[in-house]
Amino acid sequence: MKIEFTLNGEPCSVEAPAHINLLHLLRDYVGLTGTKEGCGVGECGACSVLLDGKLVNSCLVLAPQAGGRDVVTIEGVRGADGGPNDLQKNFIDHGAVQCGYCIPGMVLAGEALLAKKLNPSRADIREAIAGNLCRCTGYQQIVDAIEATAAARRDTRQPQSIEDAKVHEEVL
Amino acid sequence: MIMEKFSYVRGQSIPHAVALLNEPGVRARVLAGGTDLVLLMKEERDVCDRVVDITLIPELHQIRRAGDRVVIGAGANFCEIVESPLVNETAPALADACHSVGATQIRNMGTLGGNVANAAACADSLPALVCFDAVAHALTPDGALEWPVSDLVIRPNQTKLPAGALLTALSYQIPGEGSRSVFLKLGRRNAMAISRLTVAALGRLDDAGRVAEVRIVPGSATPQIRRFPKAEAVLLGQIPTLELLREAARVAVAEMTEITGKRWSSEFKEPALESMVLRALAQLFDAQGAA
Repeated sequence: MKIEFTLNGEPCSVEAPAHINLLHLLRDYVGLTGTKEGCGVGECGACSVLLDGKLVNSCLVLAPQAGGRDVVTIEGVRGADGGPNDLQKNFIDHGAVQCGYCIPGMVLAGEALLAKKLNPSRADIREAIAGNLCRCTGYQQIVDAIEATAAARRDTRQPQSIEDAKVHEEVL
Repeated sequence: MIMEKFSYVRGQSIPHAVALLNEPGVRARVLAGGTDLVLLMKEERDVCDRVVDITLIPELHQIRRAGDRVVIGAGANFCEIVESPLVNETAPALADACHSVGATQIRNMGTLGGNVANAAACADSLPALVCFDAVAHALTPDGALEWPVSDLVIRPNQTKLPAGALLTALSYQIPGEGSRSVFLKLGRRNAMAISRLTVAALGRLDDAGRVAEVRIVPGSATPQIRRFPKAEAVLLGQIPTLELLREAARVAVAEMTEITGKRWSSEFKEPALESMVLRALAQLFDAQGAA
């Protein structure tokens, strides 16, 4: 069946069977491999994407469910220059990335939190990434990176990308 | 042309979804949150001919007050319930139960109706719904049906919902003024934990400080999620002293064992349930007199 949706702000149209999941659609039919498959059963968060702005496990979404909706993957999170945005830079600066496999999901979980709350407590941040498993860092550096981004965004409130601009509209 | 294992259709409204579910010769399944169905389809190749996606039907997401009841659309996801001021105000234990499900991703997808219809032994919302004496509402081609949630769920993964019925809402009567409710969960960690044991409880004292109303509903403890009337009877009409709360907790454990018999997990569940019921009751009644 034909599945048409908005992917990272651009229209996307793919021919794919109804029974595959959104993760498979993104990686193998669209060719965006930033979204990772970890457990494949909705427990690890590596495949997290934003569906209509909400953080979901793309392995538990049927591909046709994306039809007519707005999907943001890690490829849609970037700075104005096309490089890493402020959150991604903070992940690097705080040593929050080791093997990197969980990071696309972590960044999206961070963005989903910051879209709702620019003054999260550390407990809020921990809860926001509770569905994202990381076996390298022990999470402290990831929490630090999200916390630092929240603080900086509170000070500037400057949109970092097209997706962030939407996020900021919601916040304001 | 790629072979399709099943077709995918979106319900536009509740009656439209019911019609799609009941077309003769088509084995159809409801897709609500997908957190159970998509996994099932991964494990079993031939689950159905047609998936009816109900996630975008606006009426199924409504959370509203109707007279002295609160009606939650069966398609409301756990996040929507956790964020609902109406549910937090009238049924805090239900909001807490929904908050304890999975993590953000799962709460953005999983629905209250799906939790009830799938009826996993460890479903977190079930004890809370039973504690609020919730009623499940369904629509079939022959008309509307309803059951108390405690009757609807017969045993783990089995309900009285007939084939082709669509669960449309869960509703509960708003508890009386001065009621408190709590939900406690025991799992291996805070997030993404399958419940080992849960307790939902509700209580209210009269002007004399005696227990006017109490409901105790353990989850993951018995095959059918139900109130524990013997434990409740220990407290009704009494001043909730710490000693009495302890007695009620002991009776609750005896009630569980009476239903399930001694099992491999009893050695663990009995002391765990005793302290969870005690803790729940202490939270219900402490600031109002008990220790």
